[in-house]
Amino acid sequence: MPKADYPPEIQRLILHLKRLQGVGPRSAERMAVALLTGKSGVAMELARALEAAAQGVVHCQICGFFQSTAATCPLCESPERDQTIVCVVEQPTDVIPLERTGAYHGLYHVLGGRLSPLDNIHPENLRISQLERRLASGTVREIILAVGSDVEGEATAHYLGDMLAHRPTGAAPVTVSRLAQGLPAGGGLDHADDLTLHRALSGRRLV
Amino acid sequence: MAHLAALRAENFRCFDRLACEFGPGTTAFIGDNAQGKTSVLEAVCVLLRLQSPRTTTLTELCRFGQDHGFGLSGDLAPAAASLRPPTGPESGPDADATVPEPPCTLKFVWHQGQRRLQAAGQDALGPSRYLARSAVLVWMGNDDLSLIRGPGEGRRRYLDFLGTQAFPSYRPALLAYDKALRSRNRLLKDDRPDARQIAAYTAPLIEHGTTLTQLRHHLVTELKPWAAAAHCEISENPAESLEISYQGSATTDFAAALAASHPEETRRRLTLVGPHRDDVPLVLNNRPAAAFASEGQQRTLALALKLAQARLLHSLHGRPPILLLDDIFGELDPRRRNALLRALPPGSQQLITTTHLEWASSGFQPEYLYRVHQGTLTPAH
Ligand SMILES: [Zn+2]
Repeated sequence: MPKADYPPEIQRLILHLKRLQGVGPRSAERMAVALLTGKSGVAMELARALEAAAQGVVHCQICGFFQSTAATCPLCESPERDQTIVCVVEQPTDVIPLERTGAYHGLYHVLGGRLSPLDNIHPENLRISQLERRLASGTVREIILAVGSDVEGEATAHYLGDMLAHRPTGAAPVTVSRLAQGLPAGGGLDHADDLTLHRALSGRRLV
Repeated sequence: MAHLAALRAENFRCFDRLACEFGPGTTAFIGDNAQGKTSVLEAVCVLLRLQSPRTTTLTELCRFGQDHGFGLSGDLAPAAASLRPPTGPESGPDADATVPEPPCTLKFVWHQGQRRLQAAGQDALGPSRYLARSAVLVWMGNDDLSLIRGPGEGRRRYLDFLGTQAFPSYRPALLAYDKALRSRNRLLKDDRPDARQIAAYTAPLIEHGTTLTQLRHHLVTELKPWAAAAHCEISENPAESLEISYQGSATTDFAAALAASHPEETRRRLTLVGPHRDDVPLVLNNRPAAAFASEGQQRTLALALKLAQARLLHSLHGRPPILLLDDIFGELDPRRRNALLRALPPGSQQLITTTHLEWASSGFQPEYLYRVHQGTLTPAH
Protein backbone atom coordinates (compact mmCIF):
# COMPACT_ATOMS: atom_id res chain seq x y z
CA MET A 1 0.00 0.00 0.00
CA PRO A 2 1.47 3.41 -0.95
CA LYS A 3 2.00 5.74 1.99
CA ALA A 4 -0.18 8.84 2.00
CA ASP A 5 1.55 12.21 2.11
CA TYR A 6 0.48 15.85 1.68
CA PRO A 7 -0.76 16.68 -1.83
CA PRO A 8 1.97 18.16 -4.10
CA GLU A 9 0.61 21.74 -3.64
CA ILE A 10 1.13 21.59 0.12
CA GLN A 11 4.52 19.90 -0.27
CA ARG A 12 5.60 22.74 -2.53
CA LEU A 13 4.43 25.33 -0.01
CA ILE A 14 6.37 23.53 2.77
CA LEU A 15 9.44 23.47 0.57
CA HIS A 16 9.30 27.25 0.05
CA LEU A 17 8.67 28.00 3.72
CA LYS A 18 11.64 25.84 4.69
CA ARG A 19 13.89 28.08 2.60
CA LEU A 20 13.17 31.01 4.92
CA GLN A 21 15.85 31.80 7.48
CA GLY A 22 15.23 30.19 10.85
CA VAL A 23 12.40 27.94 9.67
CA GLY A 24 12.99 24.22 10.17
CA PRO A 25 11.08 21.38 8.47
CA ARG A 26 8.67 20.91 11.41
CA SER A 27 7.67 24.56 11.68
CA ALA A 28 7.39 24.87 7.88
CA GLU A 29 4.89 22.03 7.98
CA ARG A 30 2.95 23.60 10.85
CA MET A 31 2.85 26.99 9.12
CA ALA A 32 1.64 25.50 5.84
CA VAL A 33 -1.11 23.54 7.52
CA ALA A 34 -2.16 26.50 9.68
CA LEU A 35 -2.36 28.78 6.63
CA LEU A 36 -4.57 26.37 4.73
CA THR A 37 -6.87 25.25 7.54
CA GLY A 38 -7.22 28.56 9.36
CA LYS A 39 -9.82 31.25 8.83
CA SER A 40 -10.71 31.40 5.14
CA GLY A 41 -8.93 34.13 3.25
CA VAL A 42 -5.80 34.20 5.43
CA ALA A 43 -3.68 32.43 2.83
CA MET A 44 -4.90 34.65 0.01
CA GLU A 45 -4.31 37.81 2.03
CA LEU A 46 -0.76 36.68 2.73
CA ALA A 47 -0.21 35.88 -0.93
CA ARG A 48 -1.41 39.35 -1.95
CA ALA A 49 0.70 41.06 0.71
CA LEU A 50 3.79 39.14 -0.42
CA GLU A 51 3.22 40.06 -4.02
CA ALA A 52 2.64 43.73 -3.22
CA ALA A 53 5.76 43.91 -1.06
CA ALA A 54 7.93 42.09 -3.58
CA GLN A 55 6.83 44.35 -6.42
CA GLY A 56 6.33 47.60 -4.55
CA VAL A 57 9.53 47.92 -2.51
CA VAL A 58 12.89 48.94 -3.93
CA HIS A 59 16.05 50.47 -2.48
CA CYS A 60 16.51 54.24 -2.59
CA GLN A 61 19.11 55.07 -5.24
CA ILE A 62 20.75 57.59 -2.94
CA CYS A 63 20.77 56.16 0.59
CA GLY A 64 19.99 52.50 -0.08
CA PHE A 65 17.15 52.27 2.46
CA PHE A 66 13.84 50.60 1.59
CA GLN A 67 11.56 52.75 -0.50
CA SER A 68 8.04 52.24 -1.77
CA THR A 69 7.79 52.58 -5.56
CA ALA A 70 4.67 54.68 -4.97
CA ALA A 71 6.48 57.31 -2.89
CA THR A 72 9.78 59.20 -2.58
CA CYS A 73 12.45 58.19 -0.02
CA PRO A 74 11.15 59.11 3.45
CA LEU A 75 14.73 59.91 4.53
CA CYS A 76 16.47 61.62 1.63
CA GLU A 77 13.41 63.67 0.63
CA SER A 78 12.48 64.85 4.11
CA PRO A 79 12.96 68.64 4.47
CA GLU A 80 13.29 68.32 8.26
CA ARG A 81 16.42 66.22 8.08
CA ASP A 82 19.89 67.67 8.44
CA GLN A 83 21.45 67.36 4.97
CA THR A 84 24.99 67.98 6.23
CA ILE A 85 25.36 64.79 8.21
CA VAL A 86 25.32 61.19 6.95
CA CYS A 87 25.29 58.05 9.06
CA VAL A 88 26.89 55.03 7.32
CA VAL A 89 25.38 51.63 8.19
CA GLU A 90 25.89 48.09 6.91
CA GLN A 91 22.30 47.03 6.25
CA PRO A 92 18.97 48.80 5.56
CA THR A 93 17.62 47.17 8.75
CA ASP A 94 20.28 49.04 10.78
CA VAL A 95 18.42 52.30 10.04
CA ILE A 96 15.37 51.27 12.10
CA PRO A 97 17.05 50.97 15.54
CA LEU A 98 18.93 54.26 14.98
CA GLU A 99 15.66 55.98 14.03
CA ARG A 100 13.93 54.58 17.13
CA THR A 101 16.42 56.32 19.41
CA GLY A 102 15.02 59.65 18.23
CA ALA A 103 18.51 61.06 18.76
CA TYR A 104 19.51 61.30 15.12
CA HIS A 105 18.09 63.66 12.50
CA GLY A 106 20.57 63.38 9.64
CA LEU A 107 20.69 61.24 6.51
CA TYR A 108 21.84 57.66 6.01
CA HIS A 109 24.01 55.69 3.67
CA VAL A 110 23.56 51.92 3.47
CA LEU A 111 26.71 50.04 2.39
CA GLY A 112 24.93 46.76 1.74
CA GLY A 113 27.39 44.76 3.84
CA ARG A 114 30.93 45.10 5.12
CA LEU A 115 34.39 44.30 3.82
CA SER A 116 35.12 40.60 4.18
CA PRO A 117 37.96 39.20 2.04
CA LEU A 118 37.28 35.69 3.36
CA ASP A 119 33.80 35.90 1.79
CA ASN A 120 35.14 37.71 -1.28
CA ILE A 121 33.48 41.00 -0.38
CA HIS A 122 35.65 43.90 -1.48
CA PRO A 123 35.04 47.69 -1.73
CA GLU A 124 33.58 47.38 -5.22
CA ASN A 125 30.88 45.04 -3.87
CA LEU A 126 29.62 47.70 -1.45
CA ARG A 127 28.00 51.09 -2.03
CA ILE A 128 31.27 52.91 -1.39
CA SER A 129 31.66 54.71 -4.71
CA GLN A 130 28.06 55.94 -4.28
CA LEU A 131 29.11 57.43 -0.95
CA GLU A 132 32.04 59.23 -2.60
CA ARG A 133 29.70 60.62 -5.25
CA ARG A 134 27.28 61.85 -2.57
CA LEU A 135 30.10 63.78 -0.93
CA ALA A 136 31.18 65.41 -4.20
CA SER A 137 28.39 68.03 -4.00
CA GLY A 138 29.99 69.44 -0.84
CA THR A 139 26.77 69.56 1.23
CA VAL A 140 27.82 66.80 3.62
CA ARG A 141 30.11 68.00 6.44
CA GLU A 142 30.00 65.08 8.85
CA ILE A 143 30.06 61.30 8.51
CA ILE A 144 29.15 58.92 11.32
CA LEU A 145 30.36 55.37 10.82
CA ALA A 146 27.81 53.09 12.49
CA VAL A 147 29.20 49.74 11.37
CA GLY A 148 29.48 46.65 13.57
CA SER A 149 32.20 46.26 16.16
CA ASP A 150 33.44 42.83 15.06
CA VAL A 151 36.64 42.39 13.01
CA GLU A 152 34.99 43.01 9.62
CA GLY A 153 33.13 46.05 10.99
CA GLU A 154 36.35 47.47 12.43
CA ALA A 155 38.16 46.94 9.12
CA THR A 156 35.31 48.57 7.17
CA ALA A 157 35.40 51.60 9.48
CA HIS A 158 39.18 51.88 9.07
CA TYR A 159 38.89 51.59 5.31
CA LEU A 160 36.26 54.33 5.09
CA GLY A 161 38.09 56.50 7.63
CA ASP A 162 41.28 56.26 5.58
CA MET A 163 39.44 56.93 2.33
CA LEU A 164 37.67 59.99 3.74
CA ALA A 165 40.91 61.35 5.20
CA HIS A 166 42.57 61.17 1.78
CA ARG A 167 39.99 62.81 -0.44
CA PRO A 168 41.11 64.66 -3.56
CA THR A 169 42.53 68.13 -3.00
CA GLY A 170 39.86 70.80 -3.22
CA ALA A 171 37.14 68.56 -1.82
CA ALA A 172 35.20 70.06 1.07
CA PRO A 173 36.51 68.61 4.35
CA VAL A 174 34.29 66.20 6.30
CA THR A 175 34.49 65.26 9.95
CA VAL A 176 34.43 61.50 10.49
CA SER A 177 33.36 59.89 13.76
CA ARG A 178 32.67 56.35 14.71
CA LEU A 179 29.94 54.73 16.75
CA ALA A 180 31.74 52.09 18.68
CA GLN A 181 31.30 52.53 22.37
CA GLY A 182 28.71 50.25 23.84
CA LEU A 183 27.86 48.36 20.69
CA PRO A 184 27.80 44.61 21.16
CA ALA A 185 30.93 42.86 19.93
CA GLY A 186 30.37 40.67 16.91
CA GLY A 187 26.85 41.92 16.39
CA GLY A 188 25.20 44.32 14.05
CA LEU A 189 23.14 47.29 15.12
CA ASP A 190 19.90 45.34 15.29
CA HIS A 191 21.15 43.56 18.43
CA ALA A 192 21.81 46.78 20.34
CA ASP A 193 19.05 48.16 22.53
CA ASP A 194 17.78 51.72 22.26
CA LEU A 195 19.60 53.05 25.30
CA THR A 196 22.95 51.62 24.18
CA LEU A 197 22.49 53.15 20.75
CA HIS A 198 21.43 56.48 22.22
CA ARG A 199 24.59 56.54 24.32
CA ALA A 200 26.71 55.42 21.39
CA LEU A 201 25.28 58.19 19.21
CA SER A 202 26.01 60.92 21.73
CA GLY A 203 29.46 59.50 22.61
CA ARG A 204 30.81 58.98 19.12
CA ARG A 205 34.51 59.51 18.66
CA LEU A 206 36.63 60.88 15.85
CA VAL A 207 38.56 58.45 13.68
CA MET B 1 30.54 21.91 37.94
CA ALA B 2 32.37 19.05 39.46
CA HIS B 3 32.13 16.19 37.03
CA LEU B 4 30.58 14.78 33.91
CA ALA B 5 28.06 12.15 35.02
CA ALA B 6 26.91 10.90 31.62
CA LEU B 7 27.77 11.12 27.94
CA ARG B 8 25.58 10.32 24.93
CA ALA B 9 26.69 10.43 21.33
CA GLU B 10 25.09 9.74 17.98
CA ASN B 11 26.82 9.26 14.64
CA PHE B 12 30.14 10.24 16.19
CA ARG B 13 33.37 8.79 14.69
CA CYS B 14 33.01 4.98 14.80
CA PHE B 15 29.96 5.13 17.10
CA ASP B 16 26.45 4.73 15.77
CA ARG B 17 25.15 5.34 19.26
CA LEU B 18 26.97 5.67 22.54
CA ALA B 19 25.77 6.11 26.09
CA CYS B 20 27.83 5.82 29.23
CA GLU B 21 27.93 6.98 32.82
CA PHE B 22 30.87 8.19 34.81
CA GLY B 23 31.56 8.52 38.51
CA PRO B 24 33.19 11.55 40.09
CA GLY B 25 36.48 9.61 40.27
CA THR B 26 38.11 7.37 37.69
CA THR B 27 36.51 5.73 34.66
CA ALA B 28 38.63 3.48 32.44
CA PHE B 29 38.06 2.47 28.81
CA ILE B 30 39.91 -0.66 27.78
CA GLY B 31 40.34 -1.85 24.23
CA ASP B 32 42.77 -2.56 21.44
CA ASN B 33 43.94 0.22 19.17
CA ALA B 34 41.52 1.70 16.61
CA GLN B 35 38.40 0.44 18.44
CA GLY B 36 37.16 3.90 19.44
CA LYS B 37 38.61 4.53 22.91
CA THR B 38 40.12 7.88 22.03
CA SER B 39 36.90 8.91 20.30
CA VAL B 40 35.07 8.66 23.64
CA LEU B 41 37.47 11.17 25.17
CA GLU B 42 37.29 13.27 22.04
CA ALA B 43 33.49 13.37 22.34
CA VAL B 44 33.86 14.67 25.90
CA CYS B 45 36.33 17.30 24.73
CA VAL B 46 34.11 18.50 21.88
CA LEU B 47 31.02 18.56 24.10
CA LEU B 48 32.70 20.51 26.90
CA ARG B 49 35.14 22.74 24.98
CA LEU B 50 33.73 22.86 21.41
CA GLN B 51 37.01 21.64 19.96
CA SER B 52 38.88 18.45 19.31
CA PRO B 53 42.57 17.87 19.97
CA ARG B 54 42.65 15.62 16.89
CA THR B 55 41.10 17.80 14.17
CA THR B 56 39.92 21.29 13.34
CA THR B 57 37.24 20.21 10.85
CA LEU B 58 34.12 19.11 12.68
CA THR B 59 32.76 17.25 9.65
CA GLU B 60 35.54 14.72 10.22
CA LEU B 61 33.83 13.75 13.46
CA CYS B 62 30.76 12.39 11.66
CA ARG B 63 30.49 8.65 11.31
CA PHE B 64 31.90 7.39 8.04
CA GLY B 65 29.30 7.77 5.26
CA GLN B 66 27.01 9.79 7.59
CA ASP B 67 28.59 13.18 7.14
CA HIS B 68 25.36 15.19 7.44
CA GLY B 69 25.96 15.54 11.15
CA PHE B 70 26.43 14.20 14.67
CA GLY B 71 25.06 14.88 18.12
CA LEU B 72 26.55 14.90 21.60
CA SER B 73 25.02 15.47 24.98
CA GLY B 74 26.11 15.09 28.57
CA ASP B 75 25.12 15.80 32.15
CA LEU B 76 27.34 17.83 34.42
CA ALA B 77 26.76 16.98 38.05
CA PRO B 78 27.05 19.68 40.69
CA ALA B 79 29.97 19.69 43.07
CA ALA B 80 29.31 17.48 46.07
CA ALA B 81 31.65 19.26 48.41
CA SER B 82 33.96 22.18 48.04
CA LEU B 83 37.44 20.97 47.19
CA ARG B 84 40.19 23.23 48.27
CA PRO B 85 42.66 24.14 45.57
CA PRO B 86 46.23 23.04 46.06
CA THR B 87 48.54 25.22 48.05
CA GLY B 88 51.49 25.72 45.82
CA PRO B 89 53.76 28.37 44.47
CA GLU B 90 52.15 31.79 44.47
CA SER B 91 48.72 30.35 45.00
CA GLY B 92 46.09 32.97 45.59
CA PRO B 93 42.90 31.07 44.85
CA ASP B 94 39.45 32.12 45.89
CA ALA B 95 38.40 28.94 47.67
CA ASP B 96 34.98 30.38 48.47
CA ALA B 97 34.07 30.50 44.78
CA THR B 98 32.35 27.11 45.10
CA VAL B 99 28.64 27.89 45.09
CA PRO B 100 26.09 25.08 44.86
CA GLU B 101 24.97 24.66 41.27
CA PRO B 102 22.08 22.70 39.75
CA PRO B 103 22.92 19.83 37.37
CA CYS B 104 23.32 20.97 33.81
CA THR B 105 22.69 19.12 30.56
CA LEU B 106 24.77 20.21 27.60
CA LYS B 107 23.84 19.47 24.00
CA PHE B 108 25.99 19.90 20.93
CA VAL B 109 24.47 19.23 17.53
CA TRP B 110 26.39 19.52 14.28
CA HIS B 111 24.06 19.43 11.31
CA GLN B 112 25.02 20.24 7.72
CA GLY B 113 27.77 22.61 8.68
CA GLN B 114 25.74 24.35 11.40
CA ARG B 115 26.48 24.11 15.11
CA ARG B 116 23.64 24.24 17.60
CA LEU B 117 24.31 24.57 21.32
CA GLN B 118 22.03 24.01 24.28
CA ALA B 119 22.77 24.26 28.00
CA ALA B 120 20.40 23.67 30.90
CA GLY B 121 17.37 23.82 28.60
CA GLN B 122 18.40 27.11 26.97
CA ASP B 123 18.52 26.63 23.23
CA ALA B 124 20.52 28.29 20.45
CA LEU B 125 23.18 29.60 22.83
CA GLY B 126 26.24 31.49 21.66
CA PRO B 127 29.54 29.74 22.34
CA SER B 128 30.56 32.06 25.20
CA ARG B 129 27.39 31.51 27.19
CA TYR B 130 27.55 27.79 26.48
CA LEU B 131 31.16 27.51 27.60
CA ALA B 132 30.35 29.47 30.75
CA ARG B 133 27.98 26.63 31.73
CA SER B 134 30.49 23.92 30.82
CA ALA B 135 33.45 22.47 32.71
CA VAL B 136 37.17 22.91 32.20
CA LEU B 137 39.47 20.05 31.26
CA VAL B 138 43.00 18.97 30.50
CA TRP B 139 43.87 16.47 27.78
CA MET B 140 46.95 14.32 28.23
CA GLY B 141 47.95 12.12 25.34
CA ASN B 142 50.72 10.08 23.93
CA ASP B 143 51.63 12.72 21.39
CA ASP B 144 52.28 15.34 24.08
CA LEU B 145 55.95 14.68 23.36
CA SER B 146 55.52 16.88 20.29
CA LEU B 147 55.06 19.80 22.71
CA ILE B 148 58.79 19.49 23.33
CA ARG B 149 60.05 18.23 19.97
CA GLY B 150 57.57 19.71 17.54
CA PRO B 151 57.20 23.16 16.01
CA GLY B 152 55.88 26.22 17.86
CA GLU B 153 52.35 25.64 16.62
CA GLY B 154 51.85 22.84 19.16
CA ARG B 155 53.02 25.05 22.03
CA ARG B 156 50.75 27.91 20.89
CA ARG B 157 47.82 25.48 20.80
CA TYR B 158 48.78 24.33 24.30
CA LEU B 159 48.62 27.95 25.52
CA ASP B 160 45.40 28.71 23.66
CA PHE B 161 43.61 25.62 24.97
CA LEU B 162 44.56 26.64 28.51
CA GLY B 163 44.00 30.37 27.99
CA THR B 164 40.42 29.99 26.74
CA GLN B 165 39.67 28.07 29.94
CA ALA B 166 41.59 30.41 32.20
CA PHE B 167 40.51 33.94 31.21
CA PRO B 168 37.10 34.95 29.78
CA SER B 169 38.70 37.54 27.47
CA TYR B 170 41.11 35.03 25.89
CA ARG B 171 38.75 33.30 23.46
CA PRO B 172 37.28 36.48 21.91
CA ALA B 173 40.78 37.92 21.46
CA LEU B 174 42.06 34.70 19.89
CA LEU B 175 39.12 34.39 17.48
CA ALA B 176 39.24 38.06 16.48
CA TYR B 177 43.00 37.91 15.90
CA ASP B 178 42.63 34.76 13.83
CA LYS B 179 39.90 36.35 11.70
CA ALA B 180 41.97 39.50 11.12
CA LEU B 181 45.06 37.43 10.29
CA ARG B 182 43.30 35.17 7.79
CA SER B 183 41.58 38.16 6.15
CA ARG B 184 44.84 40.06 5.87
CA ASN B 185 46.72 37.08 4.45
CA ARG B 186 43.98 36.60 1.87
CA LEU B 187 44.39 40.26 0.80
CA LEU B 188 48.19 39.91 0.62
CA LYS B 189 47.73 36.99 -1.77
CA ASP B 190 45.58 38.97 -4.23
CA ASP B 191 47.01 39.47 -7.72
CA ARG B 192 47.07 43.20 -7.15
CA PRO B 193 47.11 43.65 -3.36
CA ASP B 194 45.05 46.67 -2.26
CA ALA B 195 47.13 48.64 0.26
CA ARG B 196 44.10 50.43 1.75
CA GLN B 197 42.23 47.17 2.39
CA ILE B 198 45.35 45.58 3.90
CA ALA B 199 45.83 48.61 6.15
CA ALA B 200 42.16 48.36 7.19
CA TYR B 201 42.85 44.84 8.47
CA THR B 202 46.18 45.83 10.01
CA ALA B 203 44.30 47.92 12.58
CA PRO B 204 42.22 45.08 14.10
CA LEU B 205 45.23 42.75 13.72
CA ILE B 206 47.31 45.03 15.95
CA GLU B 207 44.51 45.66 18.41
CA HIS B 208 43.58 42.00 18.99
CA GLY B 209 47.15 40.77 18.55
CA THR B 210 48.34 43.08 21.32
CA THR B 211 45.56 41.86 23.63
CA LEU B 212 46.35 38.23 22.82
CA THR B 213 50.08 38.72 23.41
CA GLN B 214 49.43 40.37 26.79
CA LEU B 215 47.11 37.52 27.82
CA ARG B 216 49.68 34.91 26.77
CA HIS B 217 52.46 36.68 28.66
CA HIS B 218 50.26 36.74 31.72
CA LEU B 219 49.35 33.07 31.22
CA VAL B 220 52.98 31.95 30.99
CA THR B 221 53.86 33.97 34.09
CA GLU B 222 51.06 32.21 35.98
CA LEU B 223 52.00 28.82 34.55
CA LYS B 224 55.72 29.03 35.20
CA PRO B 225 55.82 28.17 38.94
CA TRP B 226 53.29 25.34 38.52
CA ALA B 227 55.32 23.82 35.69
CA ALA B 228 58.58 24.06 37.63
CA ALA B 229 57.00 22.50 40.73
CA ALA B 230 55.29 19.68 38.78
CA HIS B 231 58.52 18.95 36.95
CA CYS B 232 60.43 18.79 40.21
CA GLU B 233 57.89 16.29 41.63
CA ILE B 234 57.96 13.79 38.79
CA SER B 235 61.52 14.19 37.60
CA GLU B 236 64.12 11.55 38.39
CA ASN B 237 66.49 14.26 39.35
CA PRO B 238 64.81 16.98 41.44
CA ALA B 239 67.82 19.23 40.94
CA GLU B 240 66.87 19.69 37.27
CA SER B 241 65.46 23.12 36.60
CA LEU B 242 62.75 23.90 34.07
CA GLU B 243 62.35 27.41 32.68
CA ILE B 244 59.51 28.46 30.42
CA SER B 245 58.97 31.91 28.97
CA TYR B 246 56.94 33.64 26.29
CA GLN B 247 58.90 34.70 23.25
CA GLY B 248 57.28 37.22 20.96
CA SER B 249 58.05 37.24 17.25
CA ALA B 250 58.00 41.03 17.48
CA THR B 251 61.00 42.31 19.39
CA THR B 252 59.76 45.90 19.33
CA ASP B 253 56.08 46.76 19.65
CA PHE B 254 53.73 44.91 17.32
CA ALA B 255 52.82 47.85 15.06
CA ALA B 256 56.48 48.78 14.53
CA ALA B 257 57.52 45.18 13.88
CA LEU B 258 54.69 44.77 11.38
CA ALA B 259 55.73 47.94 9.57
CA ALA B 260 59.34 46.77 9.51
CA SER B 261 58.32 43.45 8.00
CA HIS B 262 56.43 45.19 5.19
CA PRO B 263 58.91 44.59 2.32
CA GLU B 264 59.27 40.92 3.18
CA GLU B 265 55.56 40.32 3.76
CA THR B 266 54.80 41.88 0.37
CA ARG B 267 57.31 39.55 -1.23
CA ARG B 268 56.12 36.44 0.60
CA ARG B 269 52.45 37.51 0.62
CA LEU B 270 52.04 36.51 4.26
CA THR B 271 51.82 38.26 7.64
CA LEU B 272 55.19 37.41 9.18
CA VAL B 273 55.08 38.78 12.72
CA GLY B 274 52.49 38.49 15.46
CA PRO B 275 51.20 36.06 18.07
CA HIS B 276 50.76 33.42 15.36
CA ARG B 277 54.55 33.30 15.13
CA ASP B 278 55.32 33.51 18.87
CA ASP B 279 56.73 30.59 20.83
CA VAL B 280 57.28 29.20 24.30
CA PRO B 281 60.92 28.11 24.56
CA LEU B 282 61.45 25.25 27.02
CA VAL B 283 64.77 25.31 28.78
CA LEU B 284 66.01 22.44 30.93
CA ASN B 285 69.15 23.07 32.96
CA ASN B 286 69.88 26.17 30.87
CA ARG B 287 69.74 24.28 27.58
CA PRO B 288 66.93 24.06 24.99
CA ALA B 289 64.98 20.91 25.83
CA ALA B 290 64.16 19.98 22.22
CA ALA B 291 67.82 19.60 21.29
CA PHE B 292 69.53 18.59 24.51
CA ALA B 293 67.09 16.66 26.71
CA SER B 294 66.99 12.85 26.59
CA GLU B 295 63.79 11.11 25.55
CA GLY B 296 63.06 10.31 29.20
CA GLN B 297 63.58 13.93 30.22
CA GLN B 298 61.33 15.06 27.38
CA ARG B 299 58.55 12.70 28.50
CA THR B 300 58.80 14.05 32.04
CA LEU B 301 58.74 17.58 30.72
CA ALA B 302 55.60 16.96 28.63
CA LEU B 303 53.82 15.49 31.65
CA ALA B 304 54.91 18.45 33.78
CA LEU B 305 53.48 20.93 31.26
CA LYS B 306 50.10 19.18 31.29
CA LEU B 307 50.08 18.86 35.07
CA ALA B 308 50.82 22.57 35.26
CA GLN B 309 47.72 23.23 33.13
CA ALA B 310 45.62 21.19 35.54
CA ARG B 311 47.01 22.89 38.63
CA LEU B 312 46.66 26.39 37.25
CA LEU B 313 43.03 25.72 36.27
CA HIS B 314 42.44 24.23 39.73
CA SER B 315 43.81 27.32 41.41
CA LEU B 316 41.88 29.71 39.15
CA HIS B 317 38.50 27.99 39.37
CA GLY B 318 38.73 26.58 42.87
CA ARG B 319 38.11 23.02 41.71
CA PRO B 320 40.15 20.55 39.68
CA PRO B 321 39.57 20.23 35.93
CA ILE B 322 38.32 17.02 34.34
CA LEU B 323 41.33 15.01 33.15
CA LEU B 324 41.19 13.14 29.85
CA LEU B 325 44.13 10.73 29.86
CA ASP B 326 44.51 9.11 26.48
CA ASP B 327 46.61 5.97 26.52
CA ILE B 328 49.48 7.39 28.53
CA PHE B 329 49.98 4.96 31.42
CA GLY B 330 50.91 1.93 29.34
CA GLU B 331 53.66 3.95 27.65
CA LEU B 332 55.35 5.16 30.81
CA ASP B 333 57.93 3.30 32.85
CA PRO B 334 56.67 2.33 36.33
CA ARG B 335 58.57 5.10 38.08
CA ARG B 336 57.12 7.90 35.93
CA ARG B 337 53.69 6.27 35.98
CA ASN B 338 53.58 6.19 39.77
CA ALA B 339 54.98 9.69 40.00
CA LEU B 340 52.27 10.91 37.63
CA LEU B 341 49.48 9.10 39.49
CA ARG B 342 50.65 10.75 42.70
CA ALA B 343 50.86 14.16 41.05
CA LEU B 344 47.36 14.23 39.47
CA PRO B 345 45.14 16.78 41.19
CA PRO B 346 43.33 15.06 44.08
CA GLY B 347 39.56 14.94 43.69
CA SER B 348 39.66 15.33 39.93
CA GLN B 349 37.49 13.27 37.62
CA GLN B 350 39.68 11.12 35.42
CA LEU B 351 38.65 9.45 32.18
CA ILE B 352 41.36 7.03 31.10
CA THR B 353 41.89 4.97 27.97
CA THR B 354 44.31 2.08 27.92
CA THR B 355 44.95 -1.10 25.93
CA HIS B 356 45.34 -3.19 29.11
CA LEU B 357 45.37 -2.77 32.85
CA GLU B 358 48.51 -4.82 33.51
CA TRP B 359 50.34 -1.68 34.53
CA ALA B 360 47.81 -0.87 37.21
CA SER B 361 48.82 -1.58 40.77
CA SER B 362 46.34 -3.16 43.17
CA GLY B 363 45.59 0.31 44.48
CA PHE B 364 44.21 1.46 41.12
CA GLN B 365 40.50 0.79 41.15
CA PRO B 366 38.35 2.59 38.58
CA GLU B 367 34.73 3.21 39.61
CA TYR B 368 33.53 2.48 36.11
CA LEU B 369 35.17 0.18 33.60
CA TYR B 370 34.17 -0.16 29.95
CA ARG B 371 35.44 -2.38 27.19
CA VAL B 372 35.58 -0.74 23.78
CA HIS B 373 35.38 -3.02 20.76
CA GLN B 374 34.57 -2.03 17.17
CA GLY B 375 32.59 1.03 18.09
CA THR B 376 30.59 -0.51 20.94
CA LEU B 377 30.93 0.06 24.63
CA THR B 378 30.26 -2.68 27.20
CA PRO B 379 30.34 -2.18 30.96
CA ALA B 380 32.98 -4.52 32.34
CA HIS B 381 32.03 -4.54 35.98
ZN1 LIG C 1 17.07 57.62 0.47
